[in-house]
Amino acid sequence: MALTIITLIKQVPVPSEMRMGEDGLMDRTKAKSIINIDCTFGLEAGLQLKKQNPDAKLIVCSMGPGSFETALRTAISMGYDEAYLLSDRKLGGSDTYATGLAISTMLKHLGFTKASNEPYIILAGRQTSDGDTAHVPSQVAEAIGIPQATFVESVKADGSGNVIAKRIIEGGYQMMKLPMPCVISLTPTGIPPRKPSLSGAIKARNLKITTFGIDDIGLGTEKIGISGSPTIVAKVVNMVSERPPITMSEGHNETALVDSLIANLKKGGNVLEKKEAIAKKDTERPDFPEKDFRDGARGILTWAEITNGHVSRPSLELLTPARHLANQLGNDTKVMTLIIGKNVQPLAQILIEHGSDEVILVENEKLEEYLVLPFSSIFEQVIKVRKPEIALFAATTSGRELAPRIGMKTDSGVTADCTGLEIGEYVNKKEKVIYTPILESRRPTYGESKLATILGFVCPQVSTARAGTFEVPKRVEGKQGIVSSFTPVLNTKDFVVEILNTVRGGGGLQNLFEAEIIISGGRGTTNDSLGLIKALAEALKAQGVNAEWSCSRPVVDEGVTEYARQVGQTGKTVRPKVYVAVGISGAIQHIAGMKEAEKVIAINHNPKANIFHNADFGICGEYQDILPELIERVKAGFTFGIEPKKAL
Amino acid sequence: MNNDTVSTDVLIIGGGPSGLATAIHLADTLKQKGRNQRILLIEKGSSIGSHIISGAVIKPDVFKELLPEVDISEIPFNAKVVKDSTVFLTKNGSIIQPFHIPYMNNIGNYTASLGQICKYLAVKAQEKGVEIYTGFAVDEILYQDGKVIGAKTKDTGIDHHGHQLDNFQPGTRVEAKITIFAEGTRGSLAKMLIHKFNLAKESNEQMYSLGCKELWSVPQGNIAPGEIYHTMGYPLDNNEFGGGFIYGLNDNKVAVGLVVGLDYKDPSFDTHDAMQVWKTTSLVSKILKGGKLVEYGAKTLPEGGYYAIPKLYVDQALIVGDSAGFLTMPALKGVHLAIKSGMLAAQTAANALISNDTSEKSLAQYETLIKNSTIHKEMYPVRNFRQGFAKGLIAGGFNFGTQLITGGAGFSGRLRAHADHLTTSKLGELKKKPFKERFNGQLEFDKVLTFDKATDIYHSGVYHDEQQVVHLHIHDQEKFNAINIEEYGAPEQFFCSSEVYELHVNKEGKKELRIHAENCMHCKTCDIKSPGERITWVVPNGGNGPDFQNM
Repeated sequence: MALTIITLIKQVPVPSEMRMGEDGLMDRTKAKSIINIDCTFGLEAGLQLKKQNPDAKLIVCSMGPGSFETALRTAISMGYDEAYLLSDRKLGGSDTYATGLAISTMLKHLGFTKASNEPYIILAGRQTSDGDTAHVPSQVAEAIGIPQATFVESVKADGSGNVIAKRIIEGGYQMMKLPMPCVISLTPTGIPPRKPSLSGAIKARNLKITTFGIDDIGLGTEKIGISGSPTIVAKVVNMVSERPPITMSEGHNETALVDSLIANLKKGGNVLEKKEAIAKKDTERPDFPEKDFRDGARGILTWAEITNGHVSRPSLELLTPARHLANQLGNDTKVMTLIIGKNVQPLAQILIEHGSDEVILVENEKLEEYLVLPFSSIFEQVIKVRKPEIALFAATTSGRELAPRIGMKTDSGVTADCTGLEIGEYVNKKEKVIYTPILESRRPTYGESKLATILGFVCPQVSTARAGTFEVPKRVEGKQGIVSSFTPVLNTKDFVVEILNTVRGGGGLQNLFEAEIIISGGRGTTNDSLGLIKALAEALKAQGVNAEWSCSRPVVDEGVTEYARQVGQTGKTVRPKVYVAVGISGAIQHIAGMKEAEKVIAINHNPKANIFHNADFGICGEYQDILPELIERVKAGFTFGIEPKKAL
Repeated sequence: MNNDTVSTDVLIIGGGPSGLATAIHLADTLKQKGRNQRILLIEKGSSIGSHIISGAVIKPDVFKELLPEVDISEIPFNAKVVKDSTVFLTKNGSIIQPFHIPYMNNIGNYTASLGQICKYLAVKAQEKGVEIYTGFAVDEILYQDGKVIGAKTKDTGIDHHGHQLDNFQPGTRVEAKITIFAEGTRGSLAKMLIHKFNLAKESNEQMYSLGCKELWSVPQGNIAPGEIYHTMGYPLDNNEFGGGFIYGLNDNKVAVGLVVGLDYKDPSFDTHDAMQVWKTTSLVSKILKGGKLVEYGAKTLPEGGYYAIPKLYVDQALIVGDSAGFLTMPALKGVHLAIKSGMLAAQTAANALISNDTSEKSLAQYETLIKNSTIHKEMYPVRNFRQGFAKGLIAGGFNFGTQLITGGAGFSGRLRAHADHLTTSKLGELKKKPFKERFNGQLEFDKVLTFDKATDIYHSGVYHDEQQVVHLHIHDQEKFNAINIEEYGAPEQFFCSSEVYELHVNKEGKKELRIHAENCMHCKTCDIKSPGERITWVVPNGGNGPDFQNM
């Protein structure tokens, strides 16, 4: 029983081309195509699995135009054995639902079904840089009917038919054991992709890539392409960046550089020019008949995610757009919240006080911990009975895998990671009808440069909302609401995935949330075990400033300091007045944890480090030179513009 | 042997004009003889052309020889030269020379982006069955019984300290009946080969120039396509050999650059900065006015000439192009010679494969072919040109004059040359104003007409993987600190075209050379000019380096 590893990849335009165009702006038109970064981590994970299982066969698959062959050949040159491309004009315009369906149909055609006797693992990237949805892996798993683990950092086979995966969750990670076959999606934080080998490139040059059309794999046109997809992109507008361009310090030595920084801080740096939104043109509303496509579906269903025995903050935030949409819909539209767990009834009242009209309780011993298989099944059953028109999830690591799995079951598709949710209408000029009311889900895309509006035409319209975007609604103590119970059918097959252990940070170091200034050290500052980082924080404290020090993930990985100090997607999210990032390259996962800081100062020796794109002030130089200089300045009274609490 | 060994008939290392010409002509020749043999070409740049930079004004005739089936109009040259001027610059003005220095007339030649030409040649080569693999660095020559049997690509997935990472990918061994080194100037493998077999024992030391080049987009009318200038004089003085070039291209583009012989004495001389000063002269600034910098790059040129060419063949291996040193100095032209040398190497290799004799004796034919070719015809008469200038411009001019009269011999027969790393003066021994004083007040760059190195290198698309051993090796750190830093004032920080070397002085006055390998333009100046040859340039990961588009 030889193991087969199938890795799904997508080719995307390079997110940030290094070259500046003649007009001084980044020239994207010359952007080359590359394998989506997350997908390359999937490819490497496959190669790592092969290291442990030398007999394993490595297959790479993609869906897209013929030009995607380039990406497939790169995978072969890295060490893959076979490549398959699903390429058909009729697939053009497919949404994530249709994409998941098409890819899973190809995989089934290749013999990878739920009932397959041979063990296999499907690997994929967490999400793509041109879509950012993270849906397809979940949808492929649902369509094939096998377990999944998403947002996984590392994966290995245990030798007895199981996969051990380290799944990244908010503030920590979870070790999971999944039986094969299963789907695993990889975050770009694990082992970086290897380079091609020449022998691999020679093999890739001569290899025949099998290309399928939809007829070859027996896929009909009903559910694919623009017309078959349950959701469409209704419009895309440009977005302005959240942080103004960086002001770099100038000077030939550390004294001059620090002088320049202090002067820049005084001047205040660049200000973001907020362009006024162009007034909407009042396009005339055609005199088409209105169509209510909801087919009797009513109400808004939200999911209350439980972490550490509490309703998670993003789940409470969700009640803000839910209430807003209910008001827009009118007609006494209800907000229902589904809560799944063990002994969770006491939480129902809290949800009601934050705005739920009804809380649906599903309580069971076996449901203490979130698991995508039983939870998605329970949702499917609740949706069947309650027929909500809209279902909302917080875009947490759980929400972002649960929603697409449900969207696949209900054939309704999903819109990911929304920052705006409104009720609107859709004028279909071809059909000459106006779909109304319809959920307009707005989401940033293309590396946060565009805002897309997505519409879904199958109820429930499913969306996930980005955490931190909406306020938690004010709690109205003593508010009355309905608490009902629902008893789902639980299938033992939905409990095949085992959570081995869960590690969550958050405990300790609460001061990181309260500090006004945080000095954070990255991999580049570990030579002295963060000595200079700590010294700068201490110097600030001595001046009476509430300062704290933290670090990026590699520092914790290297064992230099404890996990509680880690800032980033898998660590803490901090919001100080000043965040000083020293020797931090600025990986996406770190940015996620510090982008809410008022001012960011970046110190890095690499002028091309990504952190400089996410900072207000920058110094390009070695931290061993800059920090001692800064420490001296602090000792002389410089406090980064923060008022000391007490004069010493 | 593990399964990561590949066999081929011919391995060509380097996808520049000489390597591609070798591949094309070899494929053609073998096909004519009815033979089907494998030709494998490996290029370290991420694509063909990404590491190619040249002026360039090219003599087109050799392309007719290389690609007889192709109409010359199909080759992606830029504008045809219509106006060719030689200008003597002074600080405050310029004098157009009424005459051309012999060998320098360019009317009828073509301006070009050599990178674009190479891309075209690569397509042709592949059509002829040559296998081309880009993005692979070759860092080891394979030997068996003392004979070259191929080469190995670099292991990747290695951290700074040389430890294997989880994503380690071992290099591939390529075994070949004949290996052809076409790595360009100061090829890192060619250098090893020359050293191992002592191939340069009978030749002069190779001498080099460093050329820095910027490609600009300028307003219509600033310069006509095909209008070219070569400048002498300012900002170089009589003891510095070199000059500038301005090539008007189609679509309102212009290529400008300064080429300076690396045998200069001033340890603080900076070719990049000298080029910026050169751009402020009225001739150049007028042409660039209102324009924008598009690309920057730098490369070294072998200009020792005929006498600096080493022996170019050993058992089962040949050296071609700039790695061999084919360049005619007065005309500053090497592209056609690179192509020609590639073709002659191809002919030699084809004969060797057909006769099944790839020994040194068989490959010696290469030298005979060169001696009977245009390469010899062009290089021999000017064999003493560059060495003559080592004594200074005036003496050099005199010498060149006498060479013209005597057919190249001059009055002293063969002029010897010193290696460039030996010519630098120690601090305090320089008998003139150091560079910074000479151009005091002119080295503040306005980022409109003139640029600091950081801005320029941003326009080269340069990239290097963070996870790898630094590819610039200092042999003896102690000696380096004591001699290169203390006695010479770390000339590395000045001669480097791309700010790889930084002399950091901390508050206590402690000096330390820092290496920013990620900026490296692969020009090899440090390998050539560092006093005592204390730096060796080794090839970084494949696909790393600049990403030239139209250079």
